[in-house]
Formats: sequence, structure tokens, C-alpha cells
Amino acid sequence: MQRHDVLVVGAGLAGQRAALAAVEAGLDVGVVSKLHPLRSHSGAAQGGINAAVGKEDSVDTHIYDTVKGSDYLGDQDAIEFFCREAGPTVVEMEHFGTIFSRAEDGSLARRPFGGQGFPRTIYAADRTGLALLQALYEHLGTAGFTLYEEWDLTSVVVRDGRTQGIVAFDRRHGDFAAIGAKAVVIATGPAGRVYGRTTNAHSCTGDGIAAAYRAGAALKDMEFVQFHPTALLGSSILITEGARGEGGILKNAKGERFMSRYAPHVLDLASRDVVSRAIWTEVKEGRGFPGPYVHLELMHLGRERIESRLQEICDFCRTFAGVDPVTQPIPVMPAQHYMMGGISTTVRGETTVPGLFAAGEAACVSIHGANRLGGNSLLETLVFGKQAGLAAAAYCAKAPEATVGDTELETETERLRAMGERKDGESPETLRTEMQAAMDGLVGIYRDPRELDQALAAVRRLHGRYDRVRVVDQSKVYNINLTDAVETGHMLDLAEVIVAGAIARTESRGAHTRVDFPKRDDMNWMRHTMAHRGPDGPRLSYAPVGYTRWEPKERVY
Amino acid sequence: MAEANVAAPFEVFRFDPAHESAPRYQRYHLDLPPHTPLLTALLQIRAEQDPTLTMRYSCRSAICGSCAMVVNSKSRLACQTPIGPELERHGRIVVEPMRNMPVLRDLVVEMTPFWSRYKKVEPHLITDPTQPMPEGRENPMTPAQVERFKETPRCIACAACYSACPAVEADAQFPGPMALAKLYRFVVDPRDTAHQERLLRIQTDGLWLCLRCHLCTEACPKDVEPSLRIRDLKEMAVRAQGATDNGSRHAIAFKDNIRERGILNEMKLVRQTYSPGQLLAQVPQGLKIVRKKPEVLKSPHRIEGHDEVEKLYEILDDATEDPP
Repeated sequence: MQRHDVLVVGAGLAGQRAALAAVEAGLDVGVVSKLHPLRSHSGAAQGGINAAVGKEDSVDTHIYDTVKGSDYLGDQDAIEFFCREAGPTVVEMEHFGTIFSRAEDGSLARRPFGGQGFPRTIYAADRTGLALLQALYEHLGTAGFTLYEEWDLTSVVVRDGRTQGIVAFDRRHGDFAAIGAKAVVIATGPAGRVYGRTTNAHSCTGDGIAAAYRAGAALKDMEFVQFHPTALLGSSILITEGARGEGGILKNAKGERFMSRYAPHVLDLASRDVVSRAIWTEVKEGRGFPGPYVHLELMHLGRERIESRLQEICDFCRTFAGVDPVTQPIPVMPAQHYMMGGISTTVRGETTVPGLFAAGEAACVSIHGANRLGGNSLLETLVFGKQAGLAAAAYCAKAPEATVGDTELETETERLRAMGERKDGESPETLRTEMQAAMDGLVGIYRDPRELDQALAAVRRLHGRYDRVRVVDQSKVYNINLTDAVETGHMLDLAEVIVAGAIARTESRGAHTRVDFPKRDDMNWMRHTMAHRGPDGPRLSYAPVGYTRWEPKERVY
Repeated sequence: MAEANVAAPFEVFRFDPAHESAPRYQRYHLDLPPHTPLLTALLQIRAEQDPTLTMRYSCRSAICGSCAMVVNSKSRLACQTPIGPELERHGRIVVEPMRNMPVLRDLVVEMTPFWSRYKKVEPHLITDPTQPMPEGRENPMTPAQVERFKETPRCIACAACYSACPAVEADAQFPGPMALAKLYRFVVDPRDTAHQERLLRIQTDGLWLCLRCHLCTEACPKDVEPSLRIRDLKEMAVRAQGATDNGSRHAIAFKDNIRERGILNEMKLVRQTYSPGQLLAQVPQGLKIVRKKPEVLKSPHRIEGHDEVEKLYEILDDATEDPP
């Protein structure tokens, strides 16, 4: 059996940064990822990474903007730590070799982003995630660790009250293995594919979040799902907020710059939840284009600026929508983009299970609260990836050897093998499509209690049918039919937690908007939703929000 | 946006080396709007007709580099290839795994060779410990310095260039277009302190094995233009260090050779390219050539209008910019 001190699951920015910290602490580190590290979804992040490094800017303003953006559900102590780490984190990535865009004086260029009082989003054209991912991968490549490339996680093993390792399979060769580790760091990213209309990659299926949940870890604030205002019509490919940061404007079918009605001060650069609701309202009230969609206009910025600062966006629009943003408006609609919730952690990445850590979008500290600001998620992966790696390393110093072994391996192998031995049963693809339809249609930007109830019933029926999920492909080599089945099971668990949290939360806050409770209710709901797995689905409880010095106020942009 | 569907016949390479002795091409039919990306079509085949068809894919927006494959003989990203133009040009869509790498199964190749050649160029920032980076702040870099990276930061390591490259196929020592574009990225990085060592080493480590066919640049889905960056590396290497390899000696000898008489002096070219030891090893081959074509031994006369050739060279000398 393979054995390591620290096992990191997921090799995007958070996972790689955690691995780097643990390797630098002198430990034996394994990294398990279902994708080659350079294919991680971190690379799809476009707009930038926030750090208050400008002379006129201040860390306090960054903290305030993040607290306000979170609709006062973010933990203020965690946000303070997070924003203070921003400058050193960006500088470190620059020293690792990240190719950032630059100002004329040679310093890091910055652009304005939504919901922030100052242009503090540092960027690399419109491929900031790719630039960071390349640099971190190149830097980490010089360190010694074991990479399990294209391995699928099936479960986290917890015994004797602590983490012992994982069970996973090697997609390329079909072998199942138990890998022992004193500490496991989950950095598997989000579960955006719970929705059909999402900017997320196909691989964003929340495997690590579900495995942690099944292993007994608490999930936090899962009902808070961010819908990005500008996803390309049809494919839902992301059009960065940087497009509006550079001066892009939204218009309805009547040619009106409608954001003036919803955010009179900052217009198109209001917080994402605000802009998404505005677009939704325009369309619902009949002012959208048939489709439906609205327009994002960049034409007035001129060819030179569009093609240099928004190069990938130009390519996306031309390739995937047949639209040239230099001369034509871009058809956009909101789509699922980010999960504010995740595995509940401390600022050091500790979950509620000893030896289990989490970081990045899979985790919830919480710094984003009810709504994340653009540019804060890349920063989160690096700041808390490092913290989780350090904490896992410190934990290893006093943890006994892991004892994961044959029992866990056999149980998991049997469970998955049974899927392939059924002569008839449910296709994972069908279950996934039906789940996505329910989430798209019933758990969107505006949430109606009757629709949420319908969604919960639908997800539970799918859960029942999943017991008979069937893997048709019998090959051991690169059997993605098996991967589909495993992922779908993970997502059904998480869909249930999202809906259950949304039903329980009878207020509107950040990205969670209840039509029957349109106001924020600080008296009853300024608290985090904690979900534990129970015998009949999630068991919800509530935890206080960390508070330092910012009084909750009404959010106006 | 509504478009009429078109009938789309697919022929997809299927092969499971563990269970099958030879590959086969499986036909599928779909009716789809012509702008549909090939990846979407393949996923629809998986969902509706055949869940055993396997491939790599993830982001579906040409940024993760997972879904490179050979489509009607061209290496490209499935997510970035609309089916309409392929059908117009070829009448059908033949989908195969990338070339120059062993097939693992169906459209999935074993990419280890690609990554190991990539690692040979030391793809990470090399810094001199005696010149520490600025404490607590970024290294200064002007927009003009950022420009020098050209399009290399856009590389998504999809390996389409590697699949398209005949030099990769011919010679295990050739690092491949992507690896060399990556090397270029470090050679123009003002923070990297090993530019000279990198250039010196690559001259004998395969730089000159590039055939200048530009198929990599044609295949690249992100306009990285690997062949042009390879050209830049060659120029930088020769300017900085002179010709240190048969490849560079050959290139320079070729240029000077033509200038002299306006026509190639083959014997001289051979002498200028190879070292005496290498020349000796070539004697048997040389004798065969001389027997078949004795005129190679005569040095050619200066061609008519040679002054025009000289003028061209002068124009070129004047026009040659400093390397990037």
C-alpha cells in the first residue's frame, strides 16, 4: 500500500500551493488529481487576483469591500487575515515566474472589478488563472512529491476518529488503491456541474466535498451559489467581469443601460449578485432579447484595447458564438459560476474531522459569505492552500501512522464493481441531466419555496434511482463511464445539501434570494448553515459569524 | 441564432489495446446545427448512443488543453472545432487520437513522452542565488518586456503541436514545438538568469532538428506560433554564441555559400557543416553519391546576375533586426 505523510487531493492552485507548503516542511507528499495539474479549472479563471498594493488603496478598504460584498455573512476575522496576506501572496507568485500584465512604470497593472472601491485586481490579460497555474506548476515541479495523475477519488477514509487516507482508482489502468496518509487536504474545487447552465468545466463535480461530507465533515453555507452575470449565451462560457472592468456595458433589448436602475452609483460594476438579479429582472419583465439574453457591449472600447486586454474573450466569442466583440454586442445571460459554500474550515484549513483539511473553492472558511467578489477566489486558493498545507504538516508531527487498508479498499471496490455488473439500471448521464434540469429550473437566482420543495423531491428521487446506477463500459482502461457514475453520486449528495439549505434559510442575502422573504434578516439569519450527513439526508445546524468591527448595513452600490 | 440542422456522419477511431488486436473506425450519425463544437457532438454520442467511447475533456472553452485530437487529419481541440466547416470540406468527420504518442484507448493517448520531452528544457524560472529578488515587492517589468514573451504565455500544453510535428516523429532527441516555445518564454524572461546556459545547451539538445515546416504553428489553437519562436531561439543562440552545432553551422554555411556564387557549392557545404571526424564517418555515403553524380566534385561557376544576389544579401543584412 502506498503511504504518505500528507495527501493532497486536487492539483489546481489550492492543491498545488498546499503541496508546496507541505513539501517545504520536509514531508513526504502525494498529490492525487483526476486531471493533469495544468488542466485544472483554476486555469480558466480570467479576470484577476485582488491585492491592495497601490499607494492610494488600503488593506482596510479591501477588507471592507469583501465584508460588504459577502452581505455580512463572511467571517470578519478570516477576511482580515485573508486581505493582509494578499500583497505577499501576489508578490510570491510574481517571484515564482507569473507573467502579469504591467503598468508603464514596470509595476503590476491593476483593473477595477465589481463591488470594490478601488482598482485592485492584478491580472495577466484575461487569463490570470492560467498564468498563475503555469507558474506554480513550474515552481512546484522543482520540488519532490509523488503525483497520482488521472486518479479518481472515491472516498476519504476516517477511522478511530481521525483521517487515515483515501480510496481512489487509477483511471489510466483501472486499478483501485487505498492510499494511506496522516493528513488529507481536499482541494478538488467546486461542484458547479450540479447545474447544467454553468461556467464550470465538466470536471467540476465536487468529488472531494462529497467525500468529506460522507466521511463526517460539516459543509457550510452550501445554499449560496453565485451566478455570474455574463456567461455566453448557449454554451455558458464565462465572459470575465474584466470586460466590464475595462468599460463594457450591459444593455437590454430597448437599448437601455439598465444597470442605472439597479446600481445608480457604480452601474455595471455592482456586485455579481446584484447584476445577475438585474439581468434576470429585465428578461422577466420583457426587456430582454428573445432567447432570452441581454447585450454586453465592448465596441466603444476600440479594437486595440479589446484585442490586447481581452484576447481570450475575443477568441471565445468568435469561436463559440460567432460574434466579434470589436464590432458586435455579446449575447449574455447569468449562469452558475461559483460556490461560496464548501467544506467548513478554519483559517488554517482544518475541517471538523481530525487530519482532514480543505482549501480553495472546495472549502468554506468563510471569506465570501453570501456573495464572492471577483478577484477574491484566485487569492483564496493561494492564501488558504498554503495555510492548509502548513496546518497539515504541523498535524503530521503529532499524528500516528495511518492504517487505511484492505477493508476500506474492498468495500469501495465492491460498491463500484457492482455498478459494472448490473445487467440493467440507470445511466449516470440520465441521472445527471435530470438533476441539472431540476437545479437550473428550480434552484436559480430567484428562489420560490414551492419550487425548492419540488427540487428536493426530485433530487431525492434521483438518489433512489442512483442505487441502481449502471456502468456499461467494461474496460479497465480510461473508463470514464465509471468516472461519470462516481461523479454523479457525489453531485447528488451535494445538490441535496444546496436545496435543503435554501429551503431552511427564510431570508434574502447575497446570492440567495427568496421571493417570499425578500429582505435580509440579521436577527435570525446572520449565521452560517452547517450540514452534516444524517441517515435521511443532511442534518442542518447553525454557527455564528465571526465579527470584528464592521456593523451590518444595507448594501447599496 | 437558429440554424437548420445538418446530417453529420462521424467515423471515430476505436481501440482498446488490452482487448483488441487492431483499431477500427466506428460510424455514428447525428443531426446537429453546423456551429456545434465537435466536443459537444462527441459528448452527445456518449450520452445517447455509446457510453463506452472514451476521451479526455474538461473545460469546453479551449483553456484546459484536454481535448486535442486529430480531426480530418489535423491536430486540434475538439471543443474549438465547429462541425459545419469540417462537413463542408470533407463530407464527414473522421476523429482519431493525437499522433506521436501511443494510444491508451480510443481517443486517449499516453502523454508521458510529451511531458518528459517538455521537462528536458528545464521549464521553470532559474535564478541566481547571489541576486535575490526584491524583498516584499515585484520585480519591475515594463509592458515592452512583457511584449517579448509574444504569445507563448497562452500555451495550454494541449500537445496539438507535438502531434502535428514530423521532427518529433523522426527524432527522439527533438524536444518538440511546445517545449521549445516554453524554453523561449524563459530565455526572454528578464527574471531568469540562465539565458546563456539555456541557449548553449539547446543548440546541441535538439534545437536545430526543427524542420521549419510550420505545422506546429498551423496546429496551435492558441496562436503561440512555436515555429517562429524556434526561429527566434536559433537567431538568439547564433548571435550570442556562434555556431556550436552541426545545425547552426549548416544554416550559416548555407547562407554564406549561396552568397559566394549564387548557387550551392555542395562539397564546401559539407566541409563547413561537419567536423573532420564526422566527415570521415560520412566517406562511404559520399563515395556512393560521387559514383552516381560525379559533377558534385566540381565547384560551380558564379551564376549570371550574381550582383543581384549580392544586392539581396545586402538588403537582408540591413533589414535584419536585433533578435527579440
